[in-house]
Amino acid sequence: MIGAKLEGDDENENEVEREGGYCDEHGAPRGAFQRMNAPNLQALQRGDPEAWDEAFRWLWPVAFAAAQFRLQAFLPQDVEDVAIEALEALVEKVREMRSVEELKPLAASIAHHKAVSRLRAAFSDKRGRRQTESLDEHRDEAGDRAEDLAAHSPLDSLAQKELAELLQKALSALNPPLGDILSDFYLHGLRYEEIAKKRGVALNSVGVYLKRGLEAIRRIWVRNRE
Amino acid sequence: MNEQQFFDLAVKVIAGQASDAERRELEALLAGRPELKTEFERLRDDTRIVREVLPLVSATQASAGNLPAYARGRLQTKVRQTLGGQKASTGSAGERERKMMWRWRWALGLASATAVVAFLILSIFSRPSAPAIQVAMLDTAGATRGLDANEAALLRQTWEKATVDSFSSVEDLRAWEAKLRAQRKNQGVKVVFDRAAGEVRVSGRWKGRSFEKVFLIEQDLATTLRQADAFIKEKTNR
Repeated sequence: MIGAKLEGDDENENEVEREGGYCDEHGAPRGAFQRMNAPNLQALQRGDPEAWDEAFRWLWPVAFAAAQFRLQAFLPQDVEDVAIEALEALVEKVREMRSVEELKPLAASIAHHKAVSRLRAAFSDKRGRRQTESLDEHRDEAGDRAEDLAAHSPLDSLAQKELAELLQKALSALNPPLGDILSDFYLHGLRYEEIAKKRGVALNSVGVYLKRGLEAIRRIWVRNRE
Repeated sequence: MNEQQFFDLAVKVIAGQASDAERRELEALLAGRPELKTEFERLRDDTRIVREVLPLVSATQASAGNLPAYARGRLQTKVRQTLGGQKASTGSAGERERKMMWRWRWALGLASATAVVAFLILSIFSRPSAPAIQVAMLDTAGATRGLDANEAALLRQTWEKATVDSFSSVEDLRAWEAKLRAQRKNQGVKVVFDRAAGEVRVSGRWKGRSFEKVFLIEQDLATTLRQADAFIKEKTNR
């Protein structure tokens, strides 16, 4: 898969490097590998136990990762439970699906919502019982921010299906190295110089990728809410 | 300063990576040009959304990690309860109706022939048949770790033909029991392993007689299950 071609009159954009083909750790183009291992949707909708065994193994990393993102800081012991609950909820929705590509984004979406609910319930419970000592241990900036995110995350305004659709579109829009560079900067806090070195791109192109990535996410977000 | 340069400066400030000099430069820019302030606020909102979305996009691509063994039983129970192994329907309504009619005709013809054969066989080889045994495992303490798979295996060993359903709430167990009562037509045995209570409950009905007993797990589960099985055999004359 060829990396994002960036065009434009801006001199910075002309310096963007074109990436070669991108493959995952199995040597297959990303996306194609996932489709090769995807379960049969019709078998799932029939309730085929073997198909579901395969599906649960395929979906478990997704549900777990989505739950872990939300819960690891405050309720790490609940991550597995929430991931299991998310997969149970997914079973109820499988008959509404039209393609197997919907499974993973929906699993992530459901796990996210369940994790947020679990977090809010835990905070509310502790505040109600005036047991704030354990929360105070986390009451540094990151802890306050995590609580605020749990209470006021922009994703919370999206229903499960809407969030799943947004994730599907984002997956398509954030072709490598766009998604990787966005993660490097926004999730891992790397500086432009570090990203350029890590990804083997020109320093001036890092900002271009970030700008394109932010614009892509913004377009998807706005369209999703229309 | 062009658009890209402003963007680079703004995102660094938002990300907390800017130096004091860069922050002052941005402040001066925003003070002088209100339209840039709007753009800056939009970038801040975008950053917030991206920080929420990216981890989930990354999660959607996750492939590492194994499904815990104890979770499999619970998830398969959910599949059975929700989807029940039903086949997806295909074809037009008219076609389905025609197929249904033919199926009924075949079924009636086959049923008649079967009834005759069955009567003959029964009268020659009459032998008491075994009751259907349904087994459930209740763990209200939350998802169990590791032991759950062993216990399920023990239950399956004791009653080879039974399906073992796993439940984590009393409400789900009640729903299962209600479904069994509707299906059973007054024959059959129900075994419930209540992990939290440390007991195995047996109840059933066979040839017009009801029976039930609770077995406390005093030694170990395997011993208790043998006792329960012996009780069932005694009550169903096997």
